[in-house]
Amino acid sequence: MRRYLALWYELLRISWRRAPAATAAMIGVCALTIAAAAGIALSLRAVIDASAHGTLGTAVAAACVAAVCYGVTVTLQQTTWDLFQLLLDKTNGELRPQIHGWIAGIEGLDHMERTDFLDRLEGARDHSWQICMSPWQLVMAVRSGLQLGLMLLILGAVSPWLLFLLLFAAVPLWFDHRGKQAVLDAETATAEAFRLQRHLFQLGTRADSGKDIRVAGAGEELVRRQAAAWDEVAHLRYRARMRAAGSKFGGWAVFACGYVGTLALVAYQAAHGRGTAGDVVMAVTVASGLRQTVQQVVGRTESTLATRTAIESYFWLRAYAAAETARTVGTIPAPSRLDQGIAFEHVSYSYPGTDRLALDDVSVRIPAGTVVAIVGEYGSGKTTLVKLLAKFYRPDEGRITVDGTDLADLDTADWRSHISAAFQDFGRLETTFAEGVGLGDLPHLTDHERIARAVREADATDIVKCLPQGMDTQLGRELGGVDLSEGQWQRVALARAVMRGEPLLFVLDEPTASLDAPSEHAIFERQMGRARQLAKSTGAVTVIVSHRFSTVTGADLILVLDRGRLVESGTHAELSALNGGRYADLYGIQAAAYST
Amino acid sequence: MGNTPRLLGLLWSAGKGIAAAVTVMRLTQRMIPAATAMVVGLLMSRLTVHGTKSFSTMLVPLAAFGAVLFVSHAAETFVEPLAYLTQQRIDGAHRVAVTRLVASSPTVDVLERPEAQQLIRQAKADPDDYTQRTPGQAALAELDQAADAAGAAAACLVVAQFSWWLVPLLLIPSLACVRLRYRQRLESVMLWRAQLGELLRADRWQEMLTSGGVGKDLRVFGFGDWAVRRLSRLHVARSEPMFALWKRHIRGQLWIPLLVAPSLLLAITAVAAGTVNGHGSIATETAVLAAGASLFTMFGSGDSALTRLSGLEALTAYDELAGLFGKHTRHPLPAAPARTRSYSPVRFEQVGFTYPGTTHAVLDGLDLEIRSGELLAIVGLNGAGKSTLIKLLAGLYDPTSGRILVGEGQDLSELGAEAWRERISVVFQDFVKYQLSAADNVTLGRPGVPDPAVLEAAAQDAGLQPVLDRLPDGWETPLARSRTGGVDLSGGQWQQVVLTRALYALRTGAELLVLDEPTAHLDVRTEFEVFRRLAEQRNAAGVVLISHRLSTVRQADRIVLLDGGRITESGSHDELVALGGSYARMFAIQAERFQHGHRHAIEEDELL
Repeated sequence: MRRYLALWYELLRISWRRAPAATAAMIGVCALTIAAAAGIALSLRAVIDASAHGTLGTAVAAACVAAVCYGVTVTLQQTTWDLFQLLLDKTNGELRPQIHGWIAGIEGLDHMERTDFLDRLEGARDHSWQICMSPWQLVMAVRSGLQLGLMLLILGAVSPWLLFLLLFAAVPLWFDHRGKQAVLDAETATAEAFRLQRHLFQLGTRADSGKDIRVAGAGEELVRRQAAAWDEVAHLRYRARMRAAGSKFGGWAVFACGYVGTLALVAYQAAHGRGTAGDVVMAVTVASGLRQTVQQVVGRTESTLATRTAIESYFWLRAYAAAETARTVGTIPAPSRLDQGIAFEHVSYSYPGTDRLALDDVSVRIPAGTVVAIVGEYGSGKTTLVKLLAKFYRPDEGRITVDGTDLADLDTADWRSHISAAFQDFGRLETTFAEGVGLGDLPHLTDHERIARAVREADATDIVKCLPQGMDTQLGRELGGVDLSEGQWQRVALARAVMRGEPLLFVLDEPTASLDAPSEHAIFERQMGRARQLAKSTGAVTVIVSHRFSTVTGADLILVLDRGRLVESGTHAELSALNGGRYADLYGIQAAAYST
Repeated sequence: MGNTPRLLGLLWSAGKGIAAAVTVMRLTQRMIPAATAMVVGLLMSRLTVHGTKSFSTMLVPLAAFGAVLFVSHAAETFVEPLAYLTQQRIDGAHRVAVTRLVASSPTVDVLERPEAQQLIRQAKADPDDYTQRTPGQAALAELDQAADAAGAAAACLVVAQFSWWLVPLLLIPSLACVRLRYRQRLESVMLWRAQLGELLRADRWQEMLTSGGVGKDLRVFGFGDWAVRRLSRLHVARSEPMFALWKRHIRGQLWIPLLVAPSLLLAITAVAAGTVNGHGSIATETAVLAAGASLFTMFGSGDSALTRLSGLEALTAYDELAGLFGKHTRHPLPAAPARTRSYSPVRFEQVGFTYPGTTHAVLDGLDLEIRSGELLAIVGLNGAGKSTLIKLLAGLYDPTSGRILVGEGQDLSELGAEAWRERISVVFQDFVKYQLSAADNVTLGRPGVPDPAVLEAAAQDAGLQPVLDRLPDGWETPLARSRTGGVDLSGGQWQQVVLTRALYALRTGAELLVLDEPTAHLDVRTEFEVFRRLAEQRNAAGVVLISHRLSTVRQADRIVLLDGGRITESGSHDELVALGGSYARMFAIQAERFQHGHRHAIEEDELL
C-alpha cells in the first residue's frame, strides 16, 4: 500500500510540475463540487420553507444560491473531464519515456528473452494511461468521501437518527465489492482467450501475415476461431457480471429499505411539527445524492483489473531495472587500444529459464589484432559467445578478460563505445535511411560524409540510389516509407556497424546471411581489409560468426563450437589437416557442393 | 441521420429479446427522476394538506417512493450485464466482419498501404485510447439518447404542471449545454483523428525500443537515451495541439453557468412566488423543482453523444475499408474449368511490376515457365525482385503489365487468386507463427477439415519428429509461451514446422511448392537435409526454390537467373556454368574460396 501511495504522490508531483495551473484547478474543482452539492441541499430546503411561510424575499435569496450551485455543478461535470484528460496526457507524456528509459538503461539483454518481462512491459506500457489515472481516481474517491461526510452532517442536523443511513450505505459497499471481485476473476480467467482473439485479429489484418493467410486460404478458419474465442470470453464475462448484478441488487435493496425508513422518520417528524416540509425535501435530495456518492466511492476505489495489472507491472519493471542496474559494478574505463587481447577463462552460460548450457566451459585466448571466425552448427553457441563479449549477458561461470581486466569490471557504456557490431537479428530502425546508419555513431548522426562512407563500405550505395528521397527516405511501409528487403536491411545494419572509426572489437554475426554471392564476397573482402587496418591501428579484434565455411578460411583463428563446447581451434590449414575433425568434416560437405 | 437506423439495426442484431430488455430498462432508468419528483410531490401534498395528525395518509406515497427506488436499483444493476452482452455481441460481429473483409481481399497491395492500416486501427473496435469507442457502445449510446429524450419529456410534463412556459425556460439552456459539449467533443475527436499518423509513429518507436533486434543495437551504439528522447518528442508533438484544444474548451465552459443559473433562478423564483401567492402548492413546487433540476443533469456530460460519434467512426472506417478493398479488387470470373494434372503449371508472359507509389520497375518484361515435376531454382542479386516474383506468382499482387498464365493457359486474374492458391503452397521468408497448437500451425496451411493421417505423413516428410518429441503435449502443444502449457520454438524449429505446413498442403492437393530462402538460417547439415526432402517432392509437384546458396541450388533441375527485372539465364547448373555468364561468375565467387582459399580478391566491377 505504501508503494501505491508513493507512486500516486510521485504522479501528482509530475502533474503539478508539468501543469501547475491545471493541477490546482482540478483540486479547486473538487472542493467546489463538494460545496455546490451541500449548497443545493441547503438552499432547496430554504426555498421550500420560505415559500411555506410566505416570505418571498428569503425564497428568492435561497433561489439565487440554488441556481448558482446548480450552474456550478453542471459546469464542473464537464470541466472535470477535460482537466482530467489534460492531466492524464501530461503525466503519461513523462511516464512512458520513463518506463522506456529504464528498459534502455538495462545493461543486459536477459529481459528480452523473458516472457514474464515482456508480459509486464505490455501491462505497464499499453495501460500507462490507467496508471496515470489512478491517483486522480483516489482524489475523486476522497472528494466523494468528503462529500459523503458533509451530507451526513447536514442530515444529522435534521435528526441524528438519519446517521443510521450510513450503516445501510455500508451494505451495498460490501456487496458491490464482492460483485466486482467476481467480475475481476472472470476477466483474469478469460484473459488468455481474449489475447488469442486479438492475436488472430492482428494476423488477419496485418500486411506481413496477410501473405501466408491468403495463400493458405486460412482466412475463413481464422475468422471462425476469432469469433469462437470472442464469444467464449463474452459469455463467461457476462455470466460473472450477471451474478455480480444479483449480489449488488441485494445490497442496494437493503439500502433502499433503510432509505425509505429514514424518509418515513423525517416525514413523521414533519407531520408532528418537529420538522419542516423543507426537511423532507432536503432528506430526499441529500439521500439520493448519497446513493450516487457511495457508488462513486465504490467505483473509484475499486481499481479495474487493467489498472491493477498496470501498476503491478510498473512496480515490477522498476524493481527489475533497479536490480539490474545495481548489478552493474564495472567502473574501469576501456583501454584505448588492445595490447594483449581478449581471453575466455572457463566461461559457461545458460539462458534464463533453460537448463541447457549455451556455452560450456569455453577457454580461449584471442591475441590483439586477430581476426577470429566462429563456426558451428545451428544452436552451437556462436551468437551467445559474441553476446557475452558485448556484455549482453554475464557468464554464469568463469570470466572474460580484456587486456587482463575482467570484462565485468569495465564500465559497460565505455566498453561498448569501443566496440561495434552487426548482429544476425539486427534492428530494423524505421526512421530515415541516414539516421538508420548514422545511429551507429551517435556523435556523427548528422555527418553526411561519414554516413556516405559507411554506406559504401557496406556495399549499400545501390540501395540509396533506388530510394525516392535518397538518404532522407523514411523506411518502413507502415509509416508511409519504403520497405526494404531482408538483404537491404542487413546492409543498413552493416553500414551502421562500420560507422564507428576505431573500435577495439568488431563483431560480424552472420553479416551476409541474406545477401547474394557477389555482395557477400565484396563485403567480406572489404571487412577483412578493414579488420587488418583496425588491427594495426588499435590492435582490434574482429570476430566473424558464420556457418558458411567459405567465408572464414582467411581468419587467423577459427573456433569450432559444438553444443556450447569449443571443440577445435586453429587456422584453416591446421583444422583442415585434422583427420576426422569436425571442421574438416563440415568444410568437406560445403566444398564438395562447390566442386565443379 | 442515416446513422440512427443503422445503430438501432445493430442493437436489434444482438438479439431481439436482449435488445428489448435493455431498451425497457434504459427507459425505466430515465423515468426515475420524473417519477421521484411526482412521488415526493405527492408526499408533500399529504404532509401539508392533512396537517399533523395523519401520518398514516403518507404511507401510500412512502410506499410508492420505495417502489420507485427499488425499480431504479433493479434497472440500474441488471441493465449493466445485459448491456455488456449486447455490446459484446455487436462488437464481436463487427470485428469478425473486419477480419473477414480484410482477409478475403485477394491481393495484399491495398493492405500494405498506410491508409488501409490506419483504417483498420480505427475500425478494429478494440480501443487503444480514451477517445475510441466501439460500434456496440455507439448502438447503446443511440438508445441512451432516445431514453434521455423520453426522460426529459417526462420531466417536462411534471414541470408543465405549474406552467407551460417553464418548459422552454429550462429546456433551452439545458439543450444549449448539451450542444456546447457535443461540439467540443466533436472537435477533440477530429483533432485526434488528424493525428493518428503521429500516434502510429510513436507506437512504432515504442515497439522498436523493446524489440530484440533494436535492443542489441541501441545498447552497442549507446543510442538508448536518444531514442527515448525521440519518443518523448513524438508524444509532445502529438499532444501539444490537444492541450491547446482542451484549454480552449475549459475556457468555453465558463459560459455554462451563465446559461444555467439565470433560467433556474427565474424558474425557482416563479414557483416560489406562485406558492406564496397561493397560485400553487408546496407539493407542486417540490415536484417542479426536482424535475426542473433533473433536466440539467439528465443529459449527463454529453458522453452518449461522444460515444455515439466515436463508435460510428469505427463503422465509418469499416465502410471506407470496404470501399478501399472493393475498389481495388478485381472480381474474378466465376467457375474455374475442371482441371487436369497434365499441364505446365505457370507461364509468366512479359510480366512487369512496379510497387504502388514508386517508379522503379522491379520486374520488367519477365518471361518464365515453371514446369510440372521439376525443381526450379531462382537466383539473383539482392533486390533483383525474387520475392516480388513469388508474390505475383501467389496472386498477392497483380502484374502492372503482361500476364501470368496458369494451368492450361488460363490467365491468373481470370481464374481468380483464390482458385489458383488452392493449387499452390508457399513458404515466405517472414512466415506466420500462429499462437495455436502445433497441429493447427501445420493444418492452417490448407483450408478445410484437418486430416490427422496426412498431418503425420507431412511431419514424416519434413522430419519434424525431433521437434514434436520436445513438445510436452505433442501436436496439441500451443506454440507460444503466452498460452497455457505453450512453448516457444527456436527459429530453426519454426522453419521446420513451416516446412511441414507446406508439405501438408502438398499432400492435400497443392501442385506447386514455392519456398523463399527456406534455409537462410539453417546450418549446413540441416540445409542439405531439407533440400533432399524437397527434391523428393518434385515428382508430386513442381518445386520453386529461391536461394543464395549456389551449393544447394546447383542440384536443381533448372536454374534461372533474375537480373534487371527479367530472366537473363536459364538452364541446368552445368549448362549455366558452361555458358560463362553471371551465374557462372556468382558460382565461381562462392566456389573459389573453397578451391583456392580466400585471398583471390576480385575487383568490384567484375562482380556486378
